[in-house]
Amino acid sequence: MTYSAEEMEEFKAESLELLENAEKNLLSMDNGGDFRTAFDSLFRCFHNLKGAAGMMELLKLQSHTHKLEEILMGFKDGTEIPKPHINLFLRGIDASRALIDGVDVDFDFNVSAAAANVPASDPIKSTNPPIKVQVEEQRPPKSELPKEAIEEFLSECDEIIERISNNLQIVESGNYKKTSVDEIYRDIHSLKGSAYLFSYKKMGDLAHYMESSLEKVRNGTHSPSKALINAMFRSLELVEKYVALTRSGAMNPTLDLLIPGIEKMLTWASEDLPLFTQVAEIEKKEAPEVVEEVKIQVIQPETHIDETVSQPLLKEVQNTGNVKEKESEGASSIRVHVALLDNLMTLMGEMVLVRNQVLQFSNKSEDLEFISMSKRLNVVTSEIHGEMMKTRMQPIGNILGKFNRVVRDLSQELRKNINLTLSGSETELDKSLLETIKDPLTHIVRNSCDHGIETPDLRRKNGKTEAGNISIKAYHEGGQVIIEIQDDGKGLHRDVILKKAIEKGLVAQADAGQMTEKQVFNLIFEPGFSTAAQITNVSGRGVGMDVVRTNIERIGGTVELSSVPGVGTTTKFKIPLTLAIIPALIVNSGTGTYAIPQVRLDELVRVEQSSVANKIEILHGAPVFRLRGNILPLVDLNKILNPESTSDYRDGTLNIAVLNAEQISFGLIIDRIQDTVDIVVKPLNRLIKSLQIYSGATVLGDGSVALILDVPGIAKVARLGSSGTRNHENAQTNADKPKTSADMQDYLLVRLQSPTKHAFVLGFVHRLEEFKRSAVEYSGSVPVVRYRDVILPLVSVNEQLGYKSVIDESKTMSVIVVKKAEAMFGLIVDEIVDTLATAADLDAKVSTQNGIFGSLNTPTELIVVVDPFDIIEKCYPESVKNSNPAPVRSAASSVAPVAPPKHPHLRNILLAEDTAFFRKAVKTLLEKAGYKVMCANDGKEAIDLLNDPKYTFDLIVSDIEMPRVNGFQLAEAVRKHPTHSALPMLAVSSRADTKSMEDGIKAGFDLYLEKLKPAILLNAVSELFEKGRRAA
Amino acid sequence: MNTAEMHQANSKAVEQITTFYIDGDLFGIDVLKIEEVTGKHKVFEVPRAPGFVRGLVNLRGQIATALGLRELFMKSTNLEKEKMSVVCKLDGNLVALVVDSIGDVVEIERSFFEPPPDTIPGEIRRFIKGIYKMNGSFMSVIDLDSIGKEFAPSVDPASGRIN
Repeated sequence: MTYSAEEMEEFKAESLELLENAEKNLLSMDNGGDFRTAFDSLFRCFHNLKGAAGMMELLKLQSHTHKLEEILMGFKDGTEIPKPHINLFLRGIDASRALIDGVDVDFDFNVSAAAANVPASDPIKSTNPPIKVQVEEQRPPKSELPKEAIEEFLSECDEIIERISNNLQIVESGNYKKTSVDEIYRDIHSLKGSAYLFSYKKMGDLAHYMESSLEKVRNGTHSPSKALINAMFRSLELVEKYVALTRSGAMNPTLDLLIPGIEKMLTWASEDLPLFTQVAEIEKKEAPEVVEEVKIQVIQPETHIDETVSQPLLKEVQNTGNVKEKESEGASSIRVHVALLDNLMTLMGEMVLVRNQVLQFSNKSEDLEFISMSKRLNVVTSEIHGEMMKTRMQPIGNILGKFNRVVRDLSQELRKNINLTLSGSETELDKSLLETIKDPLTHIVRNSCDHGIETPDLRRKNGKTEAGNISIKAYHEGGQVIIEIQDDGKGLHRDVILKKAIEKGLVAQADAGQMTEKQVFNLIFEPGFSTAAQITNVSGRGVGMDVVRTNIERIGGTVELSSVPGVGTTTKFKIPLTLAIIPALIVNSGTGTYAIPQVRLDELVRVEQSSVANKIEILHGAPVFRLRGNILPLVDLNKILNPESTSDYRDGTLNIAVLNAEQISFGLIIDRIQDTVDIVVKPLNRLIKSLQIYSGATVLGDGSVALILDVPGIAKVARLGSSGTRNHENAQTNADKPKTSADMQDYLLVRLQSPTKHAFVLGFVHRLEEFKRSAVEYSGSVPVVRYRDVILPLVSVNEQLGYKSVIDESKTMSVIVVKKAEAMFGLIVDEIVDTLATAADLDAKVSTQNGIFGSLNTPTELIVVVDPFDIIEKCYPESVKNSNPAPVRSAASSVAPVAPPKHPHLRNILLAEDTAFFRKAVKTLLEKAGYKVMCANDGKEAIDLLNDPKYTFDLIVSDIEMPRVNGFQLAEAVRKHPTHSALPMLAVSSRADTKSMEDGIKAGFDLYLEKLKPAILLNAVSELFEKGRRAA
Repeated sequence: MNTAEMHQANSKAVEQITTFYIDGDLFGIDVLKIEEVTGKHKVFEVPRAPGFVRGLVNLRGQIATALGLRELFMKSTNLEKEKMSVVCKLDGNLVALVVDSIGDVVEIERSFFEPPPDTIPGEIRRFIKGIYKMNGSFMSVIDLDSIGKEFAPSVDPASGRIN
């Protein structure tokens, strides 16, 4: 060749530009653009190319373009170019490119097979054979292609495949526009082009067969049959496999063997297309099935990829590959390597730091110009920062789109009819997060298809539409992205899950009855759990849901599940917007600065240790805090960071951050709380990560480094949650009732045969159980069940309260197990509804004849509080006699009432009681009788009050079980007290066994009563005053 | 003069090594493994981490883990002598090796290289790739990979969450 390499390069670049231009014009013509301008421009392109080719002595190219020009001239006086011809020209352009690149191309200038249907005005009558582009593999395949170009090509393929798949779906739905078919056709075409260009001949062939089979449909004369669409999907699958294989750098000849089969399938399907719009079911005819049996085996590594970059080739790749994109997006987007963005992010962080320093410096400066410049720097930096963040964001639609295909395939496989609706596809999420949620989403969707949606028959029987619906919704909420996957299938059945869980040993039989719905549903996330009766191909192996939770939690998100049996299941993913930047609370411990991710933070509590009620207490050596009536386990950050440190929490103000770690919530005691800031998360190396305390690090505004605390890790280090603390849920139920914890009392709400709600004081409830009716046996006339190792006598609360008792043999009974003295009793209620924490006042009744303590006046309703002990006593009077031969009690329980003292208002009673319910009930009771009552929350407070010279007391009424200082200790302390040793003392306790009573008397109580019998209590108080007076 | 070129040209017989001192002893690391040499940075302590992890440092926005070579090689704990850090990459993470002072970049023939003698205590020997016999002194070449192993215990993958 007489031309230098440089001249050749120049020619190539120019020709490619011409071809690109030609292509653009053709496509604009195809889309109804102005014919005349486009035609002239197109003609000029071909003509110029011909000339240039001649000059460069590329004879083949010259004749090729000449021929194209000639065909084009046939339309000179027309108004449009028919589609088959546009295709022909497009293919011609591709062939030209190949020629320019030195590939020998045999180009058949006949218009495609379907051209026979072109209107008669068509100047060129064409025969049927489809266009064949045969690229001979002259060069060793792929070996000289730059790696980047191939990568580019492969990701292009991914996009194309997805687009085709989406469009095929639209076409399949029957409700499609011609443009969808056109788009499929164009995509297949560019796939073919690029595949041949990169010498992936087989892939190109495949695309070619697909293209040909679609020809008739594209011409609008035939409708796509189901068989054709299925064949297309099959082929697409194969293309996908090719792409995956190429990416892994391997070769697989077995794939090639499938191509003839696919081709047969495609041709067969395209031959039998129905005319017009009727879609006939031709499926029953035997279609050649080949693809499914094949498993991809990676056999040998691909040829080496040379790093030498051949410029024009690379350029060409972009030209051919991006036909579609040029049209729709034009120059509005470019591809950038993620690593580059990551670098930019890092540099950005640095820039922010420099900015901060400059700002600090400018604060000291007097130079006005400098100050204004630094202000400007501040604004610009913030803006760049904001924009930078956006670069990593991608619409979630990028992955949601794939589910069309997943659901379609599954519904065929499972012979179900499933519609998928997507919404919120434009919601943006960090790219790395998108990748992570793909698998979990797929799991959930597959589960919904397999387990959720019923078969059409069953759905019809249940009065649902035959087609099941799955919807995926994505939206922003509270700085997080929420993804909801909802199906209208059969839902989750509590009993089925529990049964399975018990079978697998995940739950103890005894615990099953009292688990909340949420806890039960959470079971399906346990490893190895599957309720599917049959393991299908699709799901049921019990690995999926476990992976779902792990993956979502790894990126700092949460999974929630809710379900109504028969109606459907909703799974909710809550995902942080981006991993790179998260809002966090900056705190101090000792000299160090730490960050707590905001998603883990529920609330902050400030505690004055000097206050009486609201402070950190020590329970068996462990600090705890009463958060709205519930015990919140506390973890001291100082202790976590330095196990040797000690603190007795005696004084000062402390900060507690209430954190949630998966299912557990706990309080973290913190020295100082600074501020909430957005931090850039930097990874830690594995050694530091393996400490389980830190999840990352960040650089703060002043350039210092702060460690990010790993909240679930800390819970693990502190050994929280091994026994399944349930505080989190309790805390949630209570969250809407902000009252001081001291006033709160927990009740268990139950339903009885009465419109009014009934409640038990939660402290009385030993356990909640469920028994089958058939498990009830009779010991004499007493109904009992065998419970663990004892016989549990049963009492129907309905009967005892005078409501009519309904026995439903089929149902299980809800039983509240109560411990009275040393024996256990089962109280049967209709249903256990909920727990309730309330500070509402209890209207105690003096008469307890009917087994009721009184009523609770909550803002919304009246709740009757049941006295379980009274009920038990009524039913089993022997239980009192047998267990309470209390010598001290006999006097007080004598029927003859003792006259109350003459001037009760002069009598001061000190009441020590830790349970809010009893504190209130007893206080009200005594106050109604005219006494003055002072309350202490525990024995310690009682002693403090006794020591306070401001107060004098005439009687102490005390509970036995109290935190810090219990009743026995209080009595002992009083008896040893210099001034109060003679005070009469009355113990009121639910711990009313003989041993306790004896201990009580030994400790110094004058009387020991079982709680809580108002009449007896008042009587005992009077008696003690009487005695005290006599003693005086 | 381009050092990389030079290195390539002589790669067979000669190795280029950055040297530094800890407590008077000469140590070295292959020059190509070193990202940069900087002064001592402010170290932010990591509570509960093993003793040789001094903490985290802010290297112009990147976070590096500062490792005390003194602890690894059981030298005296005379921390005041430490003036420099040698920054390298271990398993994709930046680490700053805290050293006393930086020596020259030396070119040294491989024939002077010998594995560490057996009498050196095992706890130290495992971090030494070998010894170069220099004029009047020895230079211990640090085995970054084995420090990396020390540094990256197998972690239970479930706990490797980001939070």
